[in-house]
Amino acid sequence: CQKDLLTPDSETQVSTLDLAQFSTVARIDGQVRGLYTGLRAADFYGGRYIVYNELRADNYVAQSSNSVTATQTYAYTLGNGAQEVNGFWASAYNTINRCNLFIEGMAAKGNAVIGDATGKNYIAEAKMIRAICYYSLLTLYARPYYDGNGSKPGLPLRLTGNSVSGNFDLARSTVAEVYTQVLKDLNEAEIDLPANYSTALNNTIRAHKNTAIAYKTRVYLTMQRYADVVTEANKIVPLVAPFTATSGVAHALQADITNVFKTPYTTTESILSMPFVSGTENAAGQSALGSYFFGVVLYSMNPTGIIADAGWKSTDKRRSFIGSRSGFTVLSKYPTLAASNYADYVPIIRYAEVLLNLGEALARSTTSVNPRAVALLNAVRNRSDATTTFLVTGFAAPQALYDAFLKERNIELLGEGFRSPDLLRLGLTIPGKESIPAVLPSSPLYIWPIPSSELLYNKLMTDNL
Amino acid sequence: QTRIITGTVTDKMDGSSLPGVAIMVVGSNNGIQTSADGKFSLKVPTGAQSLKFTYVGYLSKTLTVTGNVINVALEQDSKQLSEIVVTGYGTQRKADNVGSIARVSSKELENKPVQSFDQALGGKAAGVQITIPNGVLNNPPVIRIRGTNSISLSSFPLIVIDGIATFTGDASGSSAAGNALASINPNDIESIDVLKDAAAAAIYGSRAANGVLIVTTKKGKSGKATVSYDAWVGSVKPRNLEPLLDAFQYTDLKNEALKNFGTYNTGPTGTRAFFALTNDASGNPINTNWYDYIYREGFSHSNTVSISGGNESTSYYLSGNFTAQEGIIVKNDYNRKSGLFKIDHKEGKMFLLGGKISYTNQENLAATSSGSLPGEAFGTGGLGRLAIVTAPNVAPLNPDGSYSIFNATTIGRMGNVGSDVGFYNPSTVIDLDRSNNELNTVQSNFYLQANLTPWLNLKTVYGIDYILSDNDAFFNPINGGSAASLGSAAKSLNKNKRWVWTNTAQADYTFSEKHNFSLLLGNEQQRSESDGFSGSRTTLSDLAFDNYAAGFATPATAGAVGENYLVSFFSRFNYDFNKKYFLTANLRQDEYSAFGANNKKGIFYGVGIGWEIAQEKFWTKAGLDNLFTTFKIRGSYGTIGNFSGLGNLASYSFYGTGLYAGASTLVPTQTGNDQIGWETSDKLDVGFNFGILNDKITVEAAYYKNSLGGLIYNVPQVPSAGLPSTPQINIASMYNKGYELTVNADPVRTNNFSWNTSLNISFNENKITSLSQGIDQFLTTTSGLESASISRVGSSLGMIYAVPTAGVDPATGRRIFIEKATGKKVLYSHNITTSGFLRWSYEDGTAAPVISINDAQVAGNTQPKFVGGFSNNFRYKKFDLTTTLTYQLGFSIYYGTNAGLRDQRFWNNSTDMLRRWTTPGQITDIPKLNFTDNVSNGSSFPIDVNIYKGDFVKLRNISLGYTLPTQFLSKAKISSARLYVSGDNLLILTKYPGSDPEVSSNGNSTSSLGVERNSVANGRTLTAGLSLKF
Repeated sequence: CQKDLLTPDSETQVSTLDLAQFSTVARIDGQVRGLYTGLRAADFYGGRYIVYNELRADNYVAQSSNSVTATQTYAYTLGNGAQEVNGFWASAYNTINRCNLFIEGMAAKGNAVIGDATGKNYIAEAKMIRAICYYSLLTLYARPYYDGNGSKPGLPLRLTGNSVSGNFDLARSTVAEVYTQVLKDLNEAEIDLPANYSTALNNTIRAHKNTAIAYKTRVYLTMQRYADVVTEANKIVPLVAPFTATSGVAHALQADITNVFKTPYTTTESILSMPFVSGTENAAGQSALGSYFFGVVLYSMNPTGIIADAGWKSTDKRRSFIGSRSGFTVLSKYPTLAASNYADYVPIIRYAEVLLNLGEALARSTTSVNPRAVALLNAVRNRSDATTTFLVTGFAAPQALYDAFLKERNIELLGEGFRSPDLLRLGLTIPGKESIPAVLPSSPLYIWPIPSSELLYNKLMTDNL
Repeated sequence: QTRIITGTVTDKMDGSSLPGVAIMVVGSNNGIQTSADGKFSLKVPTGAQSLKFTYVGYLSKTLTVTGNVINVALEQDSKQLSEIVVTGYGTQRKADNVGSIARVSSKELENKPVQSFDQALGGKAAGVQITIPNGVLNNPPVIRIRGTNSISLSSFPLIVIDGIATFTGDASGSSAAGNALASINPNDIESIDVLKDAAAAAIYGSRAANGVLIVTTKKGKSGKATVSYDAWVGSVKPRNLEPLLDAFQYTDLKNEALKNFGTYNTGPTGTRAFFALTNDASGNPINTNWYDYIYREGFSHSNTVSISGGNESTSYYLSGNFTAQEGIIVKNDYNRKSGLFKIDHKEGKMFLLGGKISYTNQENLAATSSGSLPGEAFGTGGLGRLAIVTAPNVAPLNPDGSYSIFNATTIGRMGNVGSDVGFYNPSTVIDLDRSNNELNTVQSNFYLQANLTPWLNLKTVYGIDYILSDNDAFFNPINGGSAASLGSAAKSLNKNKRWVWTNTAQADYTFSEKHNFSLLLGNEQQRSESDGFSGSRTTLSDLAFDNYAAGFATPATAGAVGENYLVSFFSRFNYDFNKKYFLTANLRQDEYSAFGANNKKGIFYGVGIGWEIAQEKFWTKAGLDNLFTTFKIRGSYGTIGNFSGLGNLASYSFYGTGLYAGASTLVPTQTGNDQIGWETSDKLDVGFNFGILNDKITVEAAYYKNSLGGLIYNVPQVPSAGLPSTPQINIASMYNKGYELTVNADPVRTNNFSWNTSLNISFNENKITSLSQGIDQFLTTTSGLESASISRVGSSLGMIYAVPTAGVDPATGRRIFIEKATGKKVLYSHNITTSGFLRWSYEDGTAAPVISINDAQVAGNTQPKFVGGFSNNFRYKKFDLTTTLTYQLGFSIYYGTNAGLRDQRFWNNSTDMLRRWTTPGQITDIPKLNFTDNVSNGSSFPIDVNIYKGDFVKLRNISLGYTLPTQFLSKAKISSARLYVSGDNLLILTKYPGSDPEVSSNGNSTSSLGVERNSVANGRTLTAGLSLKF
């Protein structure tokens, strides 16, 4: 008998005995990158998370009735058992657990292998990613922060790593408690993240200080903490044009927005994007943005949505993202086809968003029309449409400027997953489309239900009502 | 004074001559054997009255000497043939065996229109349930011995072929199924012994909890070489396909659905949507029956030649088989070429040695996915689904002969506007795609046995079992699964290699003529390794080429490796006192590489006792021996294990590699369990066997209870815990208990007419007794989408789970659902823009919560209460007639296909929809049509409307044969010839409305059986054949 054959070693995977996954620098490096691939998963920024937030709003009409490709989200017929409701939840929490395991493993072994300085950077990346996960979950599964100032049920807040089976019952923290953790992670990440990387690629696909700052502007905006948006944004947005970050990576708007959405996808405007590489790192067919909005035309542009806006001129460069395919008007922002495996980079944060976050926060911070806010609005508009310039005097009341920002975001960030969160953070009605009626903020459909699998197995979990 | 008597001894059944028949002059020691051609010549004293003819396997015959020529026809003794049972590492007289073993003989397996022997086992043995899940060729049947004995692992029995535990399951990596067991030509099988209880199966230790099938192939018998030739031709057709709407009905109903939904629009601009007929080139409306493009009548043939023979020291068996079979789905073909050579040799008085070599080449061919193999049910391109979903008012080709396509993944819309009318164009994928598999199998062994003394032998056997599986696929760039990627081709090769080395010592000794002892000691090692490589390429550069090797860009490759090792020690002890009291004890220790670090080693045992009451004096005193020839009571108990389906590395937690912008990544991939071990089955078995009227009727009855513990369950963790996979934990328990009854009778046996009959029936009850802490139920999905199966503590595995409904509201035509929390009726309105209804409302019109799978209730058992078979053999002169009925009773099926057949998206529908609700006050079971409505009829979540009783009785086989008279054959040197015609699956008595109540979408799954979703039907087969012996 050959006793050694009774204890086989894997020839393809790293067993976790003795924390072997932290035993070499290469493995630790690999794990950090692996945290990002959690964000990039098909159910998350691999496309579906953005798809869901787009389809909930009014800019598309369905050309498919396949529930596998999100028609239930589109038509507000979701139940707790829906694939998207369960899939995105699992994907985000899987990534959170990767971060938790990584943070603990670095303390137990990894820091000693790789050195404390690099270890600190890496842990900060893990915290950054964890914050993105929790924030993204909040946008779909919890009532917006404005509703009761975060007092509504939030998420189970998990900050320790799980590696074997166990009793994982955990009740929901409040929305505010989850936001507190998100901000704590982002603040700590800002301190420990490197200012920049040596390549444009890494400055785009890995988190650095400005990534944490930029993301905080989004989080505070969602919480309607406008003064904090301004404080954070001011770290990377000068008071006056040209709006270019003066510390860390020199983020700036590109002169031509279309350069942001094509090879090599690594301009200084892209603060964080998820990379795809045709052949080796493909976007999944039924998840990729290019498949939903362009290649397969599962959803075409709603003729009465934002594309019908008269103020969005036909000469606006951003109109070039509205194309035609198979006889439909479609979003062509992600034009890579199945033959090239939908290998468009997916943006998570762009500098344009930070400018709009800051501008809107400035606008909403005062009762008058804030000139810097108008300047920021113009920076985004004029980059694509030099013929339209907003004037401070053009806004009769602050509300008009708020509305202008909301519309500018709808145009600028179309197809990037902002429309539904923008409506929700402000408690606005989600407009209807085709035969789908509008959804009032008071409706249970305003947010997603809690996944049936979480309700079934987590005895302390409660559903959204 | 003597005289010489001559004659010929033949087989009564087929007229062939019998060599080696012993002929004795009654009352003397004078005797002789027949020669190779069955002739004899014997000197007999004048005073001798009679001769006795005896031959192994035949009924003896004594004839009075009347003339100088005596020709004798001996009749086969079916009982004597089943005298022996194979027990694993040995054989035993059936009369001495106390275990529960069922035997199926070669006669029941030969010349059947099947690909593998397991498909022919249905109804043949009590406690053995065989289900043929669909009409895809060479698809492994579902085998259950005494119920489903596992939850997360496999419940498929261990299959041992000539002493080597073999690979099972689907060995194909393509859309064509490739049952690993089809490598054996069923005509090469001598017998199959089914070990069911602990006394029989414990000798296989940690692998035997699902029962064991021991397959023994034929070997040579000493005597003149016998050449056999068996051939059949057959034809198979689909049966009982669901009736669908034709083009006219489809167009009308879909337009009605659009109008009801408020989106019918024939206007010149805007969002136009309507369905319309299209004329073909000759000006007639297109009316396509897609069944004609996807199903066919398939033709098959099989030819087997074998030579066997030998002398006193050496015997041999050589056979070759070629079969080419066509399935009911176009381009689904099966071809097998196989050869088996066996030789057994006796060297001197001490040594026996020999072995076998078998090589089989199989081609499993398909154009594309059938949609019927496990996991494929919702595949967009599954042919079973395309046949029923594609609109009948479009054609596969445009008038110019090109494929009608709308875009890369959908068929052309022709006159229809604003909606898809199908998924892939069936003709494009059938014509241009392929998904083929080739299996090359080598099974070989070599043994050496030394008979040290008359009562002690040592034996060593070394065997190999190799399966090399090649897959070759092409997906066209025009329309279908890879058209968006401009075509793709894939190849893969998987090597599965196993060796088994077994060493045994066997002692058999009798003391004082009454104490019979037998002891077996053994050691066995089994090593399995797998290694695979696969590549795929996309973007075809030239449509003229469809080979992986030519004209593609963008390659992607992958591989997989695996290994396991099992080392065992085992022993069996048999004792009987004067063939009256019997004892059997088996013990086995297994160490297996896949078990957790501290859990590698397990000990398994089984003990059985028997009492042959008919041997007792009080029995004869009571006169019971007049009625009962034998009467044996037996019982057994033991604990054995199961790890079939356990991953080689299930005990480890892993991080796996990937890429992030070209740089390597390492992420958690598996949640391991270092405590993982085998599942246990405590098996209790009690029963009795008796024969009455000189064994004219024999009865076997048994009660059993399998208490299953430590069942591995993929314990679902809270999703927000974020574990990378669901860990396997030995946590659940369950039992199967039931009764089995087998009755064999030989009521009539005359020269011209005989009838024998066999009935078996098994009753089984399955119940889950515990799951894991905190979890008392779980859902199992069909192909990851539809959760129609629930398993919960206190009921059987895989109950149907569906939302209750209460018909259709006669006033408004809306489907009525029942809310679980309140029991209230909730009406669904798919149209909420123009109907004035809320989407979900109570009867009073107030808003109701959304009805979903959360409102589902347990609604039916999918495991049959009764399964069994009923066979009859009649012979009248040279004619023989055999019928086999199989039945499964007391279960339900979730007919998910029905939800698709009534789905109100563009999908074509069944003719049920013609009775849809149209007018207030109308009473009907079909709701008002609303375009895109996938809720009302069960597509969105399962509803009780689609649950049906599955009970069936099937005429599995009927076969009529004629044996040609010998005088016609002798000139051609043919010793026997039989012609026959046979029909399979000709008749099904069932209330199930789908094509076949055996059809199932989830293959060998333990917890989601009894669900049918888009599977192709089983066919109906007619065959005609010929068996010749030279």
